[in-house]
Amino acid sequence: MSQGAPYRLTHVFLLTENRLLREALVRILSKRVDVAVVGAVAFAPTVLDQLATSQAEVVLLDSPGLAFHGPCLVASIRRVLAPANIVMIGMERDETTFFRAVRSGVMGYVLKDASAMEIVHAVRAVGSGEAVCPSCFSRVIVQCAAQQLASTPEVAAFHPQGLSRREQQLVGLVGFGLTNKEIAARLNLSERTVKNHFQRIFRKAGVHDRMAMIERCQPREATNI
Amino acid sequence: MRELVLATIADQPDIDVVGEVGNASELTAAIEESQPDALILELGEFEKGRAQCGFLLGRYPHMRILALAPEENRGTIYWAIVDVRMKPLESSESGILSALRERPSLVGTLHS
Repeated sequence: MSQGAPYRLTHVFLLTENRLLREALVRILSKRVDVAVVGAVAFAPTVLDQLATSQAEVVLLDSPGLAFHGPCLVASIRRVLAPANIVMIGMERDETTFFRAVRSGVMGYVLKDASAMEIVHAVRAVGSGEAVCPSCFSRVIVQCAAQQLASTPEVAAFHPQGLSRREQQLVGLVGFGLTNKEIAARLNLSERTVKNHFQRIFRKAGVHDRMAMIERCQPREATNI
Repeated sequence: MRELVLATIADQPDIDVVGEVGNASELTAAIEESQPDALILELGEFEKGRAQCGFLLGRYPHMRILALAPEENRGTIYWAIVDVRMKPLESSESGILSALRERPSLVGTLHS
């Protein structure tokens, strides 16, 4: 980083079992003017207390065993340190572990053979709100996103029956054959809320059943990705 | 791993890195060429690595070998005086630096 250039300081906490990795990373990260190491320890039961008061924006973890198995450390860290972005480092090129990390809320995944510069880059990127993953997993991520989008109805800003975006989304999901229970699970709502939405949609569309609702509310030329 | 160890020893005025290799097949040629006082080796499988270190010290008895298994936080230093000897090495920056500076002695477990 050039001298005098404005930079944003990223506070990093290293929670790594590999002592050599920990010590070398502290040395490497401490040389960067835009990175401040606020903690560097191996796992101990008191580590969550340390993390809670650390004000770290990025937490580096190197042990999938600790991170995802048993009581999920990633979830615990996110609970005690809400703004923290977790980066897994020293990872194997293993798709199952990668998806486990993504599901648990990890924002960065750096492989074992990555250079120190790649780790520094991941810290900066994740600290500024981006996500980092190895290029070998890009294809599978794009495929997952495509699948998700294909099963998500498109919504219009202005609907002829005056349906809100959420209401249009619900109509689209009924069109895919989903039940209230499945829609509630998909949208993270209660079943009761889903029913209330449908009552409002029926009123706006002037219909009394789902078939009529789809007929009336779904745009005829609607295409899904 | 290589980069981490380099970061550890790069700033030390009394230590020169005379060679690096990425895999075992290039190792003996690199040792022949650079004649190092010490070799730092990452062991994938710790037990297999012991036999490898014994072989290398048979060929290059002047050399010390720091065999590290950083993911297990352990290591061993091997050297030859009369026979191949070994003792535990702390897998840390200070452990590596003091092992590189240490003079070989007779105090150590005999390598079987």
